[in-house]
Amino acid sequence: MSLKTNRAVEAIAVQTCEKAFPEEGCGLLLGPIPDNFDTPGRTLQVDEARPLPNGWDASAKTNRYLIDPKILAQVEAELSGTGRGVVGFFHSHPQVPAWPSPFDLTMAMPCCSYWIIQIRDGKSVDSRSWQRTEDGRSFIEEEIVLEG
Amino acid sequence: MSIDIRLPTALRIFADKQEKISVDAKTVGDALEQLFSGHERLRQQLMSPEGKLRSFVNVYVNDDDARDKQGLATEVKDGDTILIVPAIAGGSAVSELELTTAEKARYHRHLIMPEVGAEGQRKLKNASVLCVGAGGLGSPLALYLAAAGVGRIGIVDFDTVDESNLQRQIIHDTASVGTSKLKSAEKRLKGLNPNISVELHETKLSSANAVELFKRYDVIADGTDNFATRYLVNDACVLTGKPNAYGSIFRFEGQLSVFGLKDGPCYRCLYPEPPPPGLVPNCAEAGVLGVLPGVIGTMQAVETLKLILGIGRPLSGRLMLYDALEQSWRTLKVKKNPACPVCSENPTIKAPIDYEAFCGLKEKPTVTIPEISVQDLKAMLDKKDKFVLLDVREPHEYEIAKIEGSTLIPLGALPERFGELDKGAALIVHCKMGGRSARAVQFLREKGFNATNVAGGINAWSESIDPSVPQY
Repeated sequence: MSLKTNRAVEAIAVQTCEKAFPEEGCGLLLGPIPDNFDTPGRTLQVDEARPLPNGWDASAKTNRYLIDPKILAQVEAELSGTGRGVVGFFHSHPQVPAWPSPFDLTMAMPCCSYWIIQIRDGKSVDSRSWQRTEDGRSFIEEEIVLEG
Repeated sequence: MSIDIRLPTALRIFADKQEKISVDAKTVGDALEQLFSGHERLRQQLMSPEGKLRSFVNVYVNDDDARDKQGLATEVKDGDTILIVPAIAGGSAVSELELTTAEKARYHRHLIMPEVGAEGQRKLKNASVLCVGAGGLGSPLALYLAAAGVGRIGIVDFDTVDESNLQRQIIHDTASVGTSKLKSAEKRLKGLNPNISVELHETKLSSANAVELFKRYDVIADGTDNFATRYLVNDACVLTGKPNAYGSIFRFEGQLSVFGLKDGPCYRCLYPEPPPPGLVPNCAEAGVLGVLPGVIGTMQAVETLKLILGIGRPLSGRLMLYDALEQSWRTLKVKKNPACPVCSENPTIKAPIDYEAFCGLKEKPTVTIPEISVQDLKAMLDKKDKFVLLDVREPHEYEIAKIEGSTLIPLGALPERFGELDKGAALIVHCKMGGRSARAVQFLREKGFNATNVAGGINAWSESIDPSVPQY
């Protein structure tokens, strides 16, 4: 089980989250939709990180993020029929570890990768990717493989 | 009435990879029911067992949120598009995590013991421990906690790695000398077990930050080397309700206990008051057998793991004393003090206090003593001034490093031997760092000698005047 991507994509995700500090940064992970998307142990190829504004109301942006469903629908429409899709999401945890929270779990979609970047004092210090288990009860960590 | 339902990337796999499905329906509810009847797995993903849309599911009719209309009863007409759009949200805090396949292999020897098992290993993964200090005790402690799979290990320290640390602080290595202890420890811990998260707190633990820091951890492991911090760790543990896996070391002896458990005693129940300042030397002054913190720190790790796993009998209400020379352990009973100022039912300490003052470290010497710098001493030696250079360290320290021409009388022997000194001579007194010699100067001046202290001691001499004199 892994998330394969490249350093340029990683840099965009990390920079977005560092810039958003002390608030949470977030965005979409785009790439080819794998045939075995729902199989535990699948490998995901991410070829683009698309930063989006944190749509949560201003009061709790330091520990919450929200991606505007309208923007998500637009991107899905844009990728329609191309074989690529929104295969995951990235967001940051300012100060606290890059481990999914109970709220992350409540809101988690199946199959997708959830890439969490820990930002400490404005700098990225840890980066971990997670996939919801099939029964939706917890997350399981997947390896991030950086190529090129 | 042909209605298109469009699915997001993540859900298409549950609908034979279709992006768009056409149904014939009059309402949103009808349309979804038709969609689900052909694709039961999609129903499971989108609907709760009670038959309601799950929290992350948004349904749009063309561009409008169905919730803003009549929800599932919203009417649809020929040519409408229903969009299923997940609400993507989340945020920080920490949740229960499962073991990965690789972790199951790594922790195999734990998993096959019923006392730990997968359940216990999950507890370790979801647990957090704060190691106070990345020194002698913190080294084996953090290493074993990391190896055992404790998910979050915090370390608080603000020191850099010194060559003299490496005789016992096995988490650091020679290449790390001069660098931050935290960075050095993190590198080693992540190298040992990349599955864990290491949190670095590069700060001096203080009354201002201890409570907030402790709140974020399940167990606190005290590996400090001074009384002020030890009382602070104890009080902050009691105030936040966190157990304290305590260890301390001195020369060839170690102490071990668990404080701050419900109904158990705390460090203050054992030692209500710190010793007078200067009475008990620290490891830098008195030395410590290099492997001793390995014994005690490892035992702290044992207690920490037991606390997390909830197995065995925690070392609460018992103080274990280790003697390396005798190779013996003794266990003493420690009772909870019903009048303890911090852990009794009516505590008088309700927030961290000023521990430096509590330990008498802020008291100024009653008389000011004359002092010179090592540069002054060098100038006096060069000019061949007449004076006696008195070294008040121990003989074994004298063997490691000395300033040529000095006379050795250890501080402890001074009350018996001061008669050997010439009352008419100027006495210039030094030790390792200037502390013991200050006490010697005070004593000698009370006896009528003309004594002056050397600030910074032989370490400052080595640092600024003669690097060929070893620092220790």
